[in-house]
Amino acid sequence: MSTRRLVPPPISTARQKEFEDPRARVAFVKKYLPDGPPSPSSSSSSKPPTRSRPVRTFLKLCIYKLLLWILYSLTSLYLRARFVRNFILNRWFSVLYYHHRTPELIQKDVKQLDRLPQHISVILEFEKEGGVEQLIDHVAEISCWCASAGIHTLSVYERTGALKKYISTSHRITAQRLHSYFGRKRPTLRVLAPHLPSYANGDTEGMAGQAVDLEVIFISEEDGRESIVDLTKTLCEMAIRGKMTKEDVTMELVDAELESLTIPEPDLLVLFGPEVKLNGYPPWQIRLTEIFHLVDNDAVGYQVFLRALYSYAKCEMRLGR
Amino acid sequence: MPSSGLRTSLRTRRWLFSLPPIEWLSLRIQETLIGALRQGPIPQHVAFVMDGNRRFARQSHIETTEGHNLGFEALAKILEICYKAGVKVVTIYAFSIENFKRSKYEVDALMDIAKIKLSQLSQHGDLLDRYGAKIRILGHRSLVSQDVLEAMDRAMELTKHNDKAILNVCFPYTSRDEITSAIQSIVALAAPTKAKGQQLETLSEVAVDAPDSMRSNGSQSRSESPSSNATSTSTVVSTSPTSTLAPPREHIDFAGVHHKELLDLEDINEQTITDHLFTADNPPLDLLIRTSGVERLSDFMLWQAHQETDIEFVDCMWPEFDVWHLLPILLGWGLKRKRFLREVRLEEERRYKGSNGLREREADAFAQTNKKSI
Repeated sequence: MSTRRLVPPPISTARQKEFEDPRARVAFVKKYLPDGPPSPSSSSSSKPPTRSRPVRTFLKLCIYKLLLWILYSLTSLYLRARFVRNFILNRWFSVLYYHHRTPELIQKDVKQLDRLPQHISVILEFEKEGGVEQLIDHVAEISCWCASAGIHTLSVYERTGALKKYISTSHRITAQRLHSYFGRKRPTLRVLAPHLPSYANGDTEGMAGQAVDLEVIFISEEDGRESIVDLTKTLCEMAIRGKMTKEDVTMELVDAELESLTIPEPDLLVLFGPEVKLNGYPPWQIRLTEIFHLVDNDAVGYQVFLRALYSYAKCEMRLGR
Repeated sequence: MPSSGLRTSLRTRRWLFSLPPIEWLSLRIQETLIGALRQGPIPQHVAFVMDGNRRFARQSHIETTEGHNLGFEALAKILEICYKAGVKVVTIYAFSIENFKRSKYEVDALMDIAKIKLSQLSQHGDLLDRYGAKIRILGHRSLVSQDVLEAMDRAMELTKHNDKAILNVCFPYTSRDEITSAIQSIVALAAPTKAKGQQLETLSEVAVDAPDSMRSNGSQSRSESPSSNATSTSTVVSTSPTSTLAPPREHIDFAGVHHKELLDLEDINEQTITDHLFTADNPPLDLLIRTSGVERLSDFMLWQAHQETDIEFVDCMWPEFDVWHLLPILLGWGLKRKRFLREVRLEEERRYKGSNGLREREADAFAQTNKKSI
């Protein structure tokens, strides 16, 4: 009795395995298949492919490469056509909307917008032909537009950090430009950069921390990842000294520290390049920043600035007045 | 009336594309285009912000949940195209920590969708298995309820043997949270002895309190509204400095497992932080695509995307985003990358030639001086 009862289970478990494991199932079925036809057919079908496949795949590859070449050519043609179209459109815009160095005109352009950014940020590229002079010139122009529109903070990102060496020079040139826009009653101006003393040159009487009409902040690549790395080092040092633990590191702490080390979160980021590429712009600060760029635009111009403000306010731009 | 017009146009388009001959033709064209694209440069790591499901639902007068479902369908199609084209890593922004602020009904529905779709995606023979992709959930695990966590773990377990591609699902994720937790784990590595001592001190308390508090946490997030969930986490954060037990802010830390040894302060650099992010062993992010025409990063991949990544803002809602939107972007990216590579090569050649020329000139000068001396 006991032997008869004990015998069946191993068989059933073996069967179960055969049914559950797909490979075992295939092997199980294969045992019962007629082994005549499949093997010759598989051998006959495996022989020709080894002869014909390289040719076929090579041909396929050639066709694909040709197709890709055609696609690339078509795309670059399309891109060129788009560039021409956008170039003309941008020119047309810049004729329609020109500031004529009068703050009143800029104010009139901006008046119908529901909301304005408090803090605007721009990315400028260092170009070899123009050098630092051109950069400072752009900064002066953009500062004037900001001052006219009523934006109080402008941060200028330039990857190499060339601007940071010319804080006093850019203050002088921007102040001159502001003078040419506003006349004698020009807005007060302060130029600063992280880790460097700010420069107001008599625009603020008395206290250095007093409010000015326009604050221009220069930032560069080292205010991006590097500032986060520096903060990490400082925090580690404090942890080693036993002043804090891992749990003290919160998002609020990091945010507050980074804001005091570099810049607060800007509301609007204007790219003057043709595509959206951040080029090392501080990562922590661009969380909710609206990013504006004009397709195929490659120049710093008033119309780009104005269109950025319009898109920030979600306002349609009417061509002409 | 524009909304109903949009709806009918969408419906007719759907109908047209579902006709068998047209569907077949479009599939053939897709295959050929992808085959061609594979011959050129292809981004290794693509990230998607799947924005616009709700707006799409509102515009076409369907329920929000239905919009999310359509969004998932779009995702499945896009994933297939990406893996076919040879993209190694796809990262999707599925759920932000900020999304817990939405209505409880919607959050619950999203969680349900996530549970179902995760198990569906990771099934044998389905999409991910077919392309050898493994699933990874990036984010703040403690904010998710227990049953969703189980579904996540099961999906990861089921697909972990796949090694050809990766699908990163950012579940409750924000980039600032990611960077903060990276800093946290670096701090923990730099000063581990202190933490160990504290752990020893509070060990007895842990044994008593931890299971209790964890259980209450789990039940809370399952039964109560997401807003109360958020407040509970915030209280946890504020109390965490005083009590080191029950670590609710713990993440799956890939790099933390690898780097067991002590960290020297001077060795901390950008790479250290990169290694402690959720995307530590992924290739650098090449392309970031955001739909719905909103031109913001919204706390997604800030650290990964702010250097050389191409960011594309597409002006259509996510459920409408399909192959014919994606393929031109891939094509444009390939062309750009090809031009860039050509420039780099030319530059190298020029430099090589320049150095050669210099060497020749030096050799000439050397020969002349030799002659003179002779």
